[in-house]
Amino acid sequence: MHSFINFIMGPMVWISFLIFFIGVIFRFFQVIKLVNERENFIYTYMSFKYSFRSIFAWLIPFLPVSTRKSPVFYGISYVFHLLLFLIPIFLLSHVALLEESMQWSWFTMNDAVADILTLIVIFSLLFFIIRRIVVPEVNFLTKLSDFGFILIVALPFVTGFLAYHQFFAYQWMVIVHVLSGELMIILIPFTRFFHMFMAPFTRAYTGSEFGSVRHAKDW
Amino acid sequence: MINKKPWDWDSEKKEIPVKEWQERFNWVEELSVSPDGEKIASIVNLDEAQFSACVNGEIWEETFEKAWGLRFLSNGNLTALVCKDEEWTVCVNGSFWETRFDYIWDFQFSPDGSFMGAAVQKDGQYGMAVNDRMWDELYDNISGVVLSCQGTSAAIVQVEPLGQGDIEGFSRGIFSIAVDGIAQPEKFMNIWDLSFDSKGKQVASSIRKNRIDYSISKNSQAWEKNFQFAWKPEFINKDTSVIAPVRQGGKWFLFKDEAPFWDKSYEQFGQLAIHGDGKKIAAIVSDRYGKWTVSENDRTWALHCDSMISTLFYSDNGDSLVAVFKDQGFWDIAVNGKPWNLKADKLWNPIVSSNSEILATRMEKEGIFYLVVNGKVYQERFDMIFEPQISPDNDKILLKAMKNGIYLRQILTLDKVL
Amino acid sequence: MQETLTTNEKPESNKKDVIDEGVEKGLARLTPEKISTVINQVLTKETGARFKVYVETCMRCGLCADACSIFLSNDRDPKLSPAGKVKQTILEMINKKGKVSKQLLKDVVRIAHTECNVCKKCSMYCPFGIDIAYMMTLVRRICHKLEITPLYIQDTVNSHSATMNQMWVKEDEWIDTLQWQEEDAREEFENLRIPLDKDGADIMYSVIAPEPKFQAGLIYQTAVIMHAAGLDWTMPSTPGWDNSNMAMFTGDFEISGRIARAHYETATKLHVKKIVMGECGHAFRSVYDVGNRWVGWAMPPVDLVHAIDFYHDLLTSGRIKVKEQYKKTVTLHDPCNVSRGRGLHNKAREIVNILCESFIEMTPNREHNYCCGAGGGVINCGPPWKGSRMINNREKKEQLERTGAQVLIAPCHNCHSGLEDIVHHYGLKMEIKFLGDIIFEVMEKTIYQKDS
Repeated sequence: MHSFINFIMGPMVWISFLIFFIGVIFRFFQVIKLVNERENFIYTYMSFKYSFRSIFAWLIPFLPVSTRKSPVFYGISYVFHLLLFLIPIFLLSHVALLEESMQWSWFTMNDAVADILTLIVIFSLLFFIIRRIVVPEVNFLTKLSDFGFILIVALPFVTGFLAYHQFFAYQWMVIVHVLSGELMIILIPFTRFFHMFMAPFTRAYTGSEFGSVRHAKDW
Repeated sequence: MINKKPWDWDSEKKEIPVKEWQERFNWVEELSVSPDGEKIASIVNLDEAQFSACVNGEIWEETFEKAWGLRFLSNGNLTALVCKDEEWTVCVNGSFWETRFDYIWDFQFSPDGSFMGAAVQKDGQYGMAVNDRMWDELYDNISGVVLSCQGTSAAIVQVEPLGQGDIEGFSRGIFSIAVDGIAQPEKFMNIWDLSFDSKGKQVASSIRKNRIDYSISKNSQAWEKNFQFAWKPEFINKDTSVIAPVRQGGKWFLFKDEAPFWDKSYEQFGQLAIHGDGKKIAAIVSDRYGKWTVSENDRTWALHCDSMISTLFYSDNGDSLVAVFKDQGFWDIAVNGKPWNLKADKLWNPIVSSNSEILATRMEKEGIFYLVVNGKVYQERFDMIFEPQISPDNDKILLKAMKNGIYLRQILTLDKVL
Repeated sequence: MQETLTTNEKPESNKKDVIDEGVEKGLARLTPEKISTVINQVLTKETGARFKVYVETCMRCGLCADACSIFLSNDRDPKLSPAGKVKQTILEMINKKGKVSKQLLKDVVRIAHTECNVCKKCSMYCPFGIDIAYMMTLVRRICHKLEITPLYIQDTVNSHSATMNQMWVKEDEWIDTLQWQEEDAREEFENLRIPLDKDGADIMYSVIAPEPKFQAGLIYQTAVIMHAAGLDWTMPSTPGWDNSNMAMFTGDFEISGRIARAHYETATKLHVKKIVMGECGHAFRSVYDVGNRWVGWAMPPVDLVHAIDFYHDLLTSGRIKVKEQYKKTVTLHDPCNVSRGRGLHNKAREIVNILCESFIEMTPNREHNYCCGAGGGVINCGPPWKGSRMINNREKKEQLERTGAQVLIAPCHNCHSGLEDIVHHYGLKMEIKFLGDIIFEVMEKTIYQKDS
């Protein structure tokens, strides 16, 4: 058991990140190859100015009209996406592990704060589930896999929360926490989680077409 | 071709006042100048629905209810499309053709001016008329009329009736090519880009066989091979072969008689230029998206432009390949890949001397017209310049221009211009 | 016969029962092999990174829904949200590897051709900027290749292919119409001209084929405006005069390209500096943004000026002067293809404020306007689809009603016809006008002199 835990918290972390990086590079390579072969006109219309204009506009909370039409969803979604990165990166126990093995360390957040933030993430995910069921136009678009994605994101947070509070079966919670975290990292390049990498580019292209060709805003 | 020897190549300057025409007539339309520069003419309005042509200040005896398309032919004849007693015809030097039509348009003439042709409509039926003779057979509709150097005529004609919204009938093919008025039996869904051979006997065209298959036809016989699209074909090799740009797998190729002719594929093709019956073949091409250049025998120029190339042609002896192109918003000319850097707002096709050494044209820059010879801009400014001419000895330029309401015919020695 | 409805009487949607002969006959000819071959050819050979990334990036969040006036007009019917339309068309085809039924194809034609105006508003509401209009155009491309395009719009594409204009206008009819309008317009200025094929004019004026066919008076008005402004302009006598392009909307990109090429080559042959075009939106999109690209012209090779831009210049430079401002209360509809498509909405407002005394905004506006409901070739699908189009335009009708304006200005032909239908169908008391109509009405009919 001990060696298994050592494996998933040691080499497996590296393997996950390796798969993640190779996957990301592969996916980008695939897309660039397709652009070159089929749609090289895209380069002609890409504009740095308008790409960033569009991306920044969409990063400002509630600037895009679209986000004001669904303020609750958008607000929760905005916070959720931020926390999704902030919590694991600045969590004391994560940084402590890294310091132990690699001597790397950086700012960490107070455990009590992390606890509340984690609950926010979990409630956000619950909200997403309910929204997918309750809002007709979202429900119509929803497939089982969409709940799957939510589950995959939820697992590390829920298990992390339970493990921290040692409510039950601490060791198992840690194992599931680590494995599910690794699973998510591995899945990112190969599933729609990849939107985290592609969205800036789709936004940039649309922003460029709207800005430099059509002289219009796209938010 | 036109013999320019008898023209006056010695009188340095001749002037014809034109501004005063404005006072003589209700209005004066576009000016047209004869090739030798001796005559300037315009359609003028005399009274309500009463038009005539004014040539060097003299008006034609005939008047018309309507008139348009006044132009000098290369042989010096002055022609216009005119309406008299609610019937249309051609008027040449003030005399009418005998045949009358309900409408006439798309007037064309052979390079030496001896053949004149146009699309005509009579009683709702369509055809062509060449040198005052109308086709024997007329059709429901006509488009894309062409006239060969030998006076033969061809057009795309509608040979089957088509009801309103009859997309089924359209798909069966209702168009055919009529040569000298005789429609060929082969019908296609679409026909475009008619092209005569050098003797005016055969006709090639681009065609559409069905919703998605395009091809080329030679004498109405379709190539078996289908393409995603095709542009205008041309005859080469003593009129035995046809070449055409065609699209396959999203790329463009130059094909000859159903087989690939050039090796390279391109993003797009424009017009073709041919010299010596196919010894030299060039094409306007795009080799990367949004960039245009010229490919001569499948080798592209280093020069690229971002807007378009409007014209490509060889000089008579084939030494110069001339392109008129637009880059970064301005027009320019390139000869054998070398640009002149004119930065013109408007620019016309240059005329080229018989030895290919002199190219002369006119351009407009910020509202002012300039004569341009071999890339050199002649300093004198004009309100308007008509097509210049080069003397048979290739030593003088005939400049025809307007300045302050006066038409100027000037002979400039080459050393003065260059 | 027009049926007038009040807001509360909403007819049951019978969209699924619409019989379109073009679609029905096309479907009857299809075999399962043909269907899957064509779908797979288009989806694998004719698409690239955009398609792949769009399909793989959409998180199905549904934010695009609020962009779509058709979705809003149907009480937020989930099937009519932009992503919902993708799900029922493209995603079905992908999931079934092209082996889809004729019944599904029938729905696909309806969705892509009549329930989406390809107005691109949803790409402004998607956080990732996914271009769903592009996806719908791909679906239409498949319909085109399967020959199941709705009959009326296919007939206009046929006309485009054969005559290079949208309405089967014959070559002589075109010139004759111009000469007739020129004669009539001499009522305003006795020496007025519509110069034909004037080589080296500054401006080539181009229109869409419905103008010579049904609304020749618009050419008359333009001739008066051009003459009064003292401009050096011309109109071509040859095919290429029509700037419209329905092939672009049926996915017939080949014909669309040929039309665009003919248009620009006509202008180039006349050595003009720029093309000024009448008040049409889709035509602007076709020559500015779509047809030109197929030909390989990244941007228009000849400067292309939409009527809004042109009028703005005339009015602000003083070439056209306003004698007395227009009295009635007006509102302005922003045509998608020149606002979202070219950012001309602010200039349009400036023009309206110069011309009219009292201007009421309709909301949402500018880039966020609602489509007129006719755009994207939807109105061109013809009478069979008119009933469902009226249902799909309810939101637009309510928007118009809220303004309370007497006059609705729509600087686009398609919008004009679509809004005309809405106004009649719902019994709104609104007159619809082009900007040109109002300019013609309020302008000083004197010829511009540089020094005055």
